[in-house]
Amino acid sequence: MEHILSILIFFPALAAIVGFVVEKNAIRAYGITVTAIELVLSLVLWYNFDGNNPGMQFMEFLPLIASYGISYSVGIDGISLFLVIMTTLMTMIGIIGLTEKRDLKHLIITILFLEMTMIAVFLVLDAIVFYTFWELSLVPMFYIVGAWGGKLRIYSTIKFFLYTFTGSLVMLVGMLYLGYVYFQTTGNWSFNLQDWYMLQLPFDMQLWLFAAFFMGFAIKVPMFPFHTWLPYAHGQAPTIGSVILAAVLLKMGTYGFIRFSLPLFPDASVYFTYPMAILALIAIVYTAMIAYAQEDMKQVIAYSSVSHMGVIILGTFALNVEGIGGSIFLMISHGIVSGALFMLVGVIYDRRHTKMIKDFGGLALVMPKYATIFAVMLMASVGLPLTIGFVGEFLSLLGFFKVSPILTIIAGLTIIFGAVYMLVMYKKSFFGPCNNPENQKLEDVKGRELVALIPLVALVVILGVYPKIILAPVDKSVTNLIELMHTKAVSPTTKARILELNSIGEVKK
Amino acid sequence: MIPPIDVDFASLNIQTLAPMIVAIVGALAIICIDLANKNLDKSLYIMLTVIFLVVDLTMVFGYSGAVRGFFDIMMVDGISVLAQVTVLVLSTAFVLLAFSKQKLQEYRYPEYFALYLFAVAGFQFMVSSDSLIMIFVGLETSSMAIYTMVAMHNRMKTIEAAIKYFTMGALATGFFAFGAMIFYAITGTVELGKVSEVLVNSNFNNYPLVLLGVTFMIGALGFKLSLVPFHSWVPDVYEGSTAAFAGFLAIVPKIAAFVVVLRFFEIFISAEDVFVQNALYIIAAVTMTMGNLMALSQTDIKRMLAFSSISHAGFVLAAILIGSTQATIGIFVYWSLFAIANLGAFGMLWINRDKEASINGYTQNTVESYAGLVKKSPMTAAIFAMFLLSLAGVPPFSVFWGKFYLIGAAVNADYLYLALIMALNSAVAAYYYIKPIVYMFFKEPNANSNTQILSNSTTMLKSVIGIFVLLTVASIFLVEPLIEFASYYVQISGY
Repeated sequence: MEHILSILIFFPALAAIVGFVVEKNAIRAYGITVTAIELVLSLVLWYNFDGNNPGMQFMEFLPLIASYGISYSVGIDGISLFLVIMTTLMTMIGIIGLTEKRDLKHLIITILFLEMTMIAVFLVLDAIVFYTFWELSLVPMFYIVGAWGGKLRIYSTIKFFLYTFTGSLVMLVGMLYLGYVYFQTTGNWSFNLQDWYMLQLPFDMQLWLFAAFFMGFAIKVPMFPFHTWLPYAHGQAPTIGSVILAAVLLKMGTYGFIRFSLPLFPDASVYFTYPMAILALIAIVYTAMIAYAQEDMKQVIAYSSVSHMGVIILGTFALNVEGIGGSIFLMISHGIVSGALFMLVGVIYDRRHTKMIKDFGGLALVMPKYATIFAVMLMASVGLPLTIGFVGEFLSLLGFFKVSPILTIIAGLTIIFGAVYMLVMYKKSFFGPCNNPENQKLEDVKGRELVALIPLVALVVILGVYPKIILAPVDKSVTNLIELMHTKAVSPTTKARILELNSIGEVKK
Repeated sequence: MIPPIDVDFASLNIQTLAPMIVAIVGALAIICIDLANKNLDKSLYIMLTVIFLVVDLTMVFGYSGAVRGFFDIMMVDGISVLAQVTVLVLSTAFVLLAFSKQKLQEYRYPEYFALYLFAVAGFQFMVSSDSLIMIFVGLETSSMAIYTMVAMHNRMKTIEAAIKYFTMGALATGFFAFGAMIFYAITGTVELGKVSEVLVNSNFNNYPLVLLGVTFMIGALGFKLSLVPFHSWVPDVYEGSTAAFAGFLAIVPKIAAFVVVLRFFEIFISAEDVFVQNALYIIAAVTMTMGNLMALSQTDIKRMLAFSSISHAGFVLAAILIGSTQATIGIFVYWSLFAIANLGAFGMLWINRDKEASINGYTQNTVESYAGLVKKSPMTAAIFAMFLLSLAGVPPFSVFWGKFYLIGAAVNADYLYLALIMALNSAVAAYYYIKPIVYMFFKEPNANSNTQILSNSTTMLKSVIGIFVLLTVASIFLVEPLIEFASYYVQISGY
């Protein structure tokens, strides 16, 4: 278990390079095998992971640019563990469900490279190396959307690339500045996160740095008003592109907030709680309304993603164990559910070459299995109790209730709104008479599609009923994180506020 | 009566001249060989050039004498050694690109390679002196050689390019001479070290005149560095030259010019002269931004790379403005890493050179002609895309680490706004660098285009580009040695 994390990061890249040699007609089997091995590796990692240890585990360290304090440093804790497993799982499911015929070899090799960058982002503990993989993940996605996408693919992929690239560059300046501050305080150069965790920054500096990191993370999440690239990217991406984008790439942003912004800038995080919450609320309400007005199934799910990401941000900035733990759980569940939904839309698109809601109707009659799976995922998406979606949403809102009951009630009400647009979409396309002759002879889900979807359905139910397997290690690490925030905060009001927020379930004296 | 001059030969420290002498002797040897036998293949001359450059390089490395030499005109300090090494290594890499499959007019003349060596010797003189006269001589030697080399490519656009380059260059030379004259008039010396001393001691007496001199110098050096607003020759000259030579022009002459700018403006930056600092700040910011904005609308890749090299020059000027040791190290780190990617990009244009288009006089490197390249030759497309992404500053490829180091230097010297300008400019640049990638990967090949892929390639060209691919991909491991190497030489010369 010495170098398990490095193996996890570089195995897909190595496999991608080797994959150039594999023949075209065998490349899918190759891709599935590689991603399955990767999934098994991540499960082995979970098995060996010590759930009682809140700190970083399996750490590795290798100096890269010693004179400037940059090193290859990796480690995993409860926060990143399940994100990594979700990444390996969704990549594998994505390749299993792949129906693309054009240039399949290029596509699978690109996905393997993408898998490397995604896993690395969750594991790397050095800011500059983190930034490297963060940016590098744009390139495969840029290629996937641009080469296999729909009509507007070039416009949307350039928009996606430039938007995220610009935001990240501002973040880079922030990182360099923080490195410089570390140098001034300690006399050594270091971009290692764990070294940075030791820093206590003055309040004003925290505000500026928080803003710089916000630019990078918020565009990736995406938060209102930086969300405009997402519907295009989702709408134009091929199915596997949407699956990975929704399941993993968006989580990088929220992960960044939890890993960087909260512990590095605790005072700023408390200071910006309300602005962040309001942005998140706008995202929840506004994009839910836009989603309702969409005619394209994929766009509905794309906007619902923005809406759900808003809930994740809300939970994160609740700044208590329930909220942050809930938001991490919601990241996992949203990854699984939205990935599955995009895949389901892909299934119908392969058959009918349209994803307009008005073209469908009465699908439940001709495709009962499909309709069932869709229904389960939809329920999970709207947060029905006993599904995976409920746990995260409930905990996030519970956490934020401590911050502001009124805002939480607004957020809670709009989740009902989310149920409305999803159910209306379901009603329009699945119920009613099946009049369109083209729809009448549609084939139900079969074979490979079922293999890809059934595990996700199982996960939705299992984790919905028994979320503790994930929540227990997450809570350990989050508690640790909040203690760190508490000790690092410079102003006494922040300290008091963090303590106050973390008093759910305590008996009032 | 003039007293007899008695100079001890040992005190001349003639070794300071040894590297340049190697290059000049090499150039003369090439001309002599041509006199003896007219029908020798270009490969002989290319390899002779390489050999002389390598000997030259060992001379530079082997030099261990005093800093000053030859009546104190020569000054071989750390910066000089560093710049000479960079110039020589990159010149060697570029001359290897002459191993092309297509037969070009200029490669039939051995004089081309002789001029190449003369130009290199000129650069070496430029960086190894702090006497304005010696710098002037070096500048002119190299410029004259380069004007001729541009003109030797026999195409319609070349004539325009050569004349434009020559006339603008002559103007810049005039500016330089005038600037030097003004400083001589104020301080009574042409050595930059003493100029600085006199100026500081007199507390910048006669300030308007000093500023006039600075203005002339900015004009002269700005031309060589293609800073906005002295950049207008750049795209036309690059378009008129072959891709291999345009790549050379974009990189090597500028190293020498950077060193001169560094030595000259150091006087004002260390004295914290507000006017000069602000002027440089504005020029750096405008150069970065305008270079990028003008590159946005280009459809010809070579012109696009020309404008982008303007923007990159702005980055380095920003480093000179910052003036800290880290920034000075950053100049060399950035430029070496930029050179790797830029040579690669120009090399890719060169290896796919369209001879028909070149003869008929229409532009050969339009983005359209690269449409759908991934279908025809995935490897070529992938390598080209990688070089472009590297130039755009996408990690972990080479230019990113240069940008990272320079932006870091700006942040560390409290130039936060400059750092932000640099970062945002990288974002603008990303747009035009990904444009060719979009064409290569996402567009269908043009039905009526008969662009030949790898039409100019030979094993040598492929190996050179292969090496640069490796360097670009593995650049993270290059950064640390580069920083160490550069910081050793920068620190011993006290910048």
